[in-house]
Amino acid sequence: MKTVIETKDLTKIYNSSVAPVKAVNKVSLDFVEGEFTAIVGPSGSGKNTFLNLIGGLDKPTEGQVIIDDTDISGMKESKLFDFRLKNIGFVFQSYNLIPVLTAKENVSFIMLLQKESKAKMEKRAVEMLEQVGLSEKLNSRPGQLSGGQQQRVAVARALASKPKFVLADEPTANLDTESAFNLLDIMSRLNKEENITLIFSTHDQRVIDRARRVITLVDGAVSKDEKFESRK
Amino acid sequence: MRMLLKISWLNLWRNRQRSIVMIIAVMVGLWGGIFAASFMFGLLDQRFKSSIEQQVSHLQIHHPEFLKDYNVKYYIERFDELYKNLSEDDDVIAFSGRTKVNGMLRTATLTTGVNIMGINPEMEANTTSLNKNIVEGDYPDDSFRNPVLIGKSLADKVKAQIGSRIVLTFQDSERELAAASFRVSGIYQTAATGWDEMHVFVLQDELNELLGYEKIVNEVGILTDDHEKSDAFAERYKDRYPELEIRTWSEISPELAYMQEMASMMYVIILTIILMALAFGLLNTMLMAVIERIKELGMLMAIGMNKKRIFIMILLETTFLTLTGAFLGMIVGYFSVAFLGKNGIDLTAVGAESLSEYGFDPIIYPVLEPYVFVVITILVILTAVFTSIFPALKALRLKPAEAVQAE
Repeated sequence: MKTVIETKDLTKIYNSSVAPVKAVNKVSLDFVEGEFTAIVGPSGSGKNTFLNLIGGLDKPTEGQVIIDDTDISGMKESKLFDFRLKNIGFVFQSYNLIPVLTAKENVSFIMLLQKESKAKMEKRAVEMLEQVGLSEKLNSRPGQLSGGQQQRVAVARALASKPKFVLADEPTANLDTESAFNLLDIMSRLNKEENITLIFSTHDQRVIDRARRVITLVDGAVSKDEKFESRK
Repeated sequence: MRMLLKISWLNLWRNRQRSIVMIIAVMVGLWGGIFAASFMFGLLDQRFKSSIEQQVSHLQIHHPEFLKDYNVKYYIERFDELYKNLSEDDDVIAFSGRTKVNGMLRTATLTTGVNIMGINPEMEANTTSLNKNIVEGDYPDDSFRNPVLIGKSLADKVKAQIGSRIVLTFQDSERELAAASFRVSGIYQTAATGWDEMHVFVLQDELNELLGYEKIVNEVGILTDDHEKSDAFAERYKDRYPELEIRTWSEISPELAYMQEMASMMYVIILTIILMALAFGLLNTMLMAVIERIKELGMLMAIGMNKKRIFIMILLETTFLTLTGAFLGMIVGYFSVAFLGKNGIDLTAVGAESLSEYGFDPIIYPVLEPYVFVVITILVILTAVFTSIFPALKALRLKPAEAVQAE
């Protein structure tokens, strides 16, 4: 299996000059293609910081993040924008869709940034929204969709750019049980059928129960790294 | 770019009430600027036209010494040749040769100093609007001897009426005092009461005879088809008549040229002040728009929308907001100025006398030059760019990791 993400002694220290807080402490992990990983831990354990570091949204104080053989730790901000655009998909806790655009336009938007042709963009957006079960909501704006539907649009948007992996930050936190299960079904299916690498930061037991790998962080360090290959 | 344009336009309407208030503010501000500018242009345009038509003409030709000494003996010697050349010149609409002398006007009750203008009525009527400014009596002709046309303010001052006899005294060619009795044939009134009080018009042939000359001309007033041609025209005639003093309207009345330059400058200053005031409103609106959307901007940065595009998006939003208001302001401004430009704004009740003393007509017809809209559009876009910088910088300083977590 090909390694998609590799972290080496990854460390992030906040307020380093006053009262240093080690949010992430010498974390060395590998994530291989097609993995469905849940990063868990109590509040303040460093889950979000770790996700931000491997997503190129934040820079480590020490250590390296290597994505597909590219070290992004020291990459310039302008290059990071482009790198994220081409390699990483994001799903956020509160959906973060563009409220003035329709579902189809929200999904197309990321491909627009990638300068895809209009025809290709439209085709892929429709395909992705069909995959997440929203083929009848193509022209609905976020305000006309339920929370679960908005999060499914966000998943379609994250996958539309064909990223190397998808980072999901507590994607089910704002959803009711039915919508959460629905979303997890879709993401599990895409993970298996399309071999998409998924990394979740979560507290949600429903997500943890589906993940084939569960990494527990405590005080910024890896406390447990469990694999559940039998889970489907 | 199309998607950015679409997002920016739609973002404008996310807080409909706030955007509409700002658009109305821009609209009213620009309408005010357009109206103030057109009012000022109208005022000065009338002043310019009345000065040119009633007093200055586009060019004047004199014997150079006449301007220093104001003595009738300094007349234009080659007037017949000049007359022929001006008559054949395509740029000349009309011209009038005048005999001018300073003198005293005396009635039974009062004596006052005046400029006596000897005119050929037909040539003068073609060159100036003197014949159109008659408010009582008739424009002078040959129907009786020694008719005189006086200004209304002078008539009021010396208590003269149509048919009143007045005596004009002046120095003749031998520097001897000459006096003659004239009968008021008409009373004229222009927008400039000071001018009216100082100038009386008599028939040129009669004045020349009284002065002891057969036919002299001290001044030629020329009306060309375009006042912009005056400088070139003057240069051309200076080559032909080096012995004469040929002056353009801007040399004769530098205040007219100065007022025109000032008007253009004042208009830009007025608009700049209005737009600067509006810029703070726009800045506030755009800052609010950015602060309300920190999470969304963080998401856009996270998924890979680079800073240049974020900047362009905010710039476009500000430009749309400003241009929408500006466009409406220009439409309202255009129609209100078109209406008032046709019907005029009557200021008689609020100071007609004061305006007349400064040579302004109490009815103002606002004028709007097409270039005003070009200047407004440029200034509005500059304002939009200027006001979008701070909100855009605020957006660009966001850290995507923190912004996506913002409450």
